[in-house]
Amino acid sequence: MANGEIIAGFLAPHPPHLVYGENPPQNEPKSEGGWEQLRWAYERARKSLDELQPDVLLVHSPHWITQVGHHFLGVRHLSGKSVDPIFPNLFRYSFELEVDVELAEACCEKAAQRGLTATMMRNPKFRVDYGTITTLHMIRPQWDIPIVGISANNSPYYLTTEEGLDEMDTLGKATREAIEATGRRAVLLASNTLCHWHFHEEPDTPEDMSREHPQSYDGYKWDMRIIELLRQGKTAEVFRILPQFIDEAFAEVKSGAFTWMFAAMGYPELPGELHGYGTVIGTGNAVMEWNLVKAGLAGAAAPPPAGPSVAGAREAYAGAMR
Amino acid sequence: MTAVSAFLVPGSPLHLLRPDNPPWRPIIAGFERAARALAVSRPDAILLYSTQWIAVLDALWQARPRLTGAHVDENWHDLGDMPFDIRVDTDLAHACVKAVKAAGISSKSVDYDQFPIDSGTIVATRLLDPDGRFPLVMAANNLYHDAATTMKMAGVAAATARAQNKKVAVVGVGGLSGTVFREPIAIEQDRIAAESDDNWNRRVLRLLEKGETGQLDGRIEEYAREARVDMGFKHFAWIRGAIGGRFFGARVHGYGPAHGAGAAVIEFRL
Ligand SMILES: [Fe+2]
Repeated sequence: MANGEIIAGFLAPHPPHLVYGENPPQNEPKSEGGWEQLRWAYERARKSLDELQPDVLLVHSPHWITQVGHHFLGVRHLSGKSVDPIFPNLFRYSFELEVDVELAEACCEKAAQRGLTATMMRNPKFRVDYGTITTLHMIRPQWDIPIVGISANNSPYYLTTEEGLDEMDTLGKATREAIEATGRRAVLLASNTLCHWHFHEEPDTPEDMSREHPQSYDGYKWDMRIIELLRQGKTAEVFRILPQFIDEAFAEVKSGAFTWMFAAMGYPELPGELHGYGTVIGTGNAVMEWNLVKAGLAGAAAPPPAGPSVAGAREAYAGAMR
Repeated sequence: MTAVSAFLVPGSPLHLLRPDNPPWRPIIAGFERAARALAVSRPDAILLYSTQWIAVLDALWQARPRLTGAHVDENWHDLGDMPFDIRVDTDLAHACVKAVKAAGISSKSVDYDQFPIDSGTIVATRLLDPDGRFPLVMAANNLYHDAATTMKMAGVAAATARAQNKKVAVVGVGGLSGTVFREPIAIEQDRIAAESDDNWNRRVLRLLEKGETGQLDGRIEEYAREARVDMGFKHFAWIRGAIGGRFFGARVHGYGPAHGAGAAVIEFRL
């Protein structure tokens, strides 16, 4: 099996507030709404993802931190209740997900071949982190597409930002090779907030949007500068100034997902589609899409044999697993 | 005296999950001695602070009466899971929230089914109090709190225990030097990753043994920076705060590596 390809990448941040605001049945706490701009942004992203009909979603999360190497979820079926340790009042979510273990193993192997420390996570009692779960819920609440979950090695924090992001570049390239070799049509999800300056106290009613605003004007201006460059497809320029952005806006992209995704896509100078921007407890969050099919950089999906698109993706997955 | 015993212990799952690995045995033996000392001190509760329970918004205090489950470490998931069964002194915990808030540090209690309990808390409670005889009061490590704030919080917690007529054992859970091996190693050959880290750790352990608080105060910042000490050694600040600043020396029950990082089991003489 070969000729797999990356068909899109999304900047898909993970504030649990968005799940809380939506009130899905899986989440225990209930809200009166809130953060609509960002939730509507995700609505647009969901629609686009549906049309893409991927076989698999790969997500890199800053909240699965592994000190020794890059880890990949490697258990076919994982379930449990994820409680956010920072916002347990907002996020207590019962999850159930399927992992594309074959692709995860290929990613792990290719990463190791490129000299990275890479490990499979095989413990069935492992609790998936809330960053992974929030991003996946926001982009695909049906949970019907298999996933690959990748941890954040703390290298950009332990080493210098540049050295750490260099590793993420290598991980991205390895991920691409694995996707190509396994024949998957894959969507990448970079689970990152932009400016990460945040409030230090939560409003009594967390969803009271009269209290929501950027924590820092300088951080906001940084976000707008980065988004504008991304909308223009000036990818090289974004990566030139990324370390400065990280330093000055305390940006969560430091944890590497954004670099991983762009490295895997080959840093295309392709205008990103901004689905929406909003702040959450003061931090800056953008939902953005780089659709490689629309740009002619990846093939369109073959029409599904029958039924809705999801069934097609499911069948392809089941076939690949056999 | 409210604090009847005080300990600084490592929170790495490695020692708990592979106690027979030769380089990790000194830590396990140290935990055994510390556990005996803790039991002998007969506290009404354990005041515990783990660097691995991370908070960002407030000072968080665990207030669920009983916490049970099996935790899988984020990094060491291949070594198995860590069952736990922890009782909480909820009266004292709620009183701490109130008192710490009154002292000007924004505080909150957490009481949620399946709230994630960090590896450090589980390792420390399993190894220091294997039979779960003593209820706990647990505070999170707020990343924005400095050592002074952490000390103040611990001091208020100890005073709150005193007001309830309770004796406490004070436990700070965290590592020493923080340079780690970033690639897999043969665990039977684990050692402190950097010689300079090892030297720093030993220097600080000697000062602790002698109770040289004056000299320590002058060097901790430098130690934290140069040896990349776990969370700036705030777990030590917790202990200092809860015992009222002074101690008369310490016994190092065990010192050794945790995948390159420094770890020690220390009992303070009060
Ligand atoms: Fe985050």
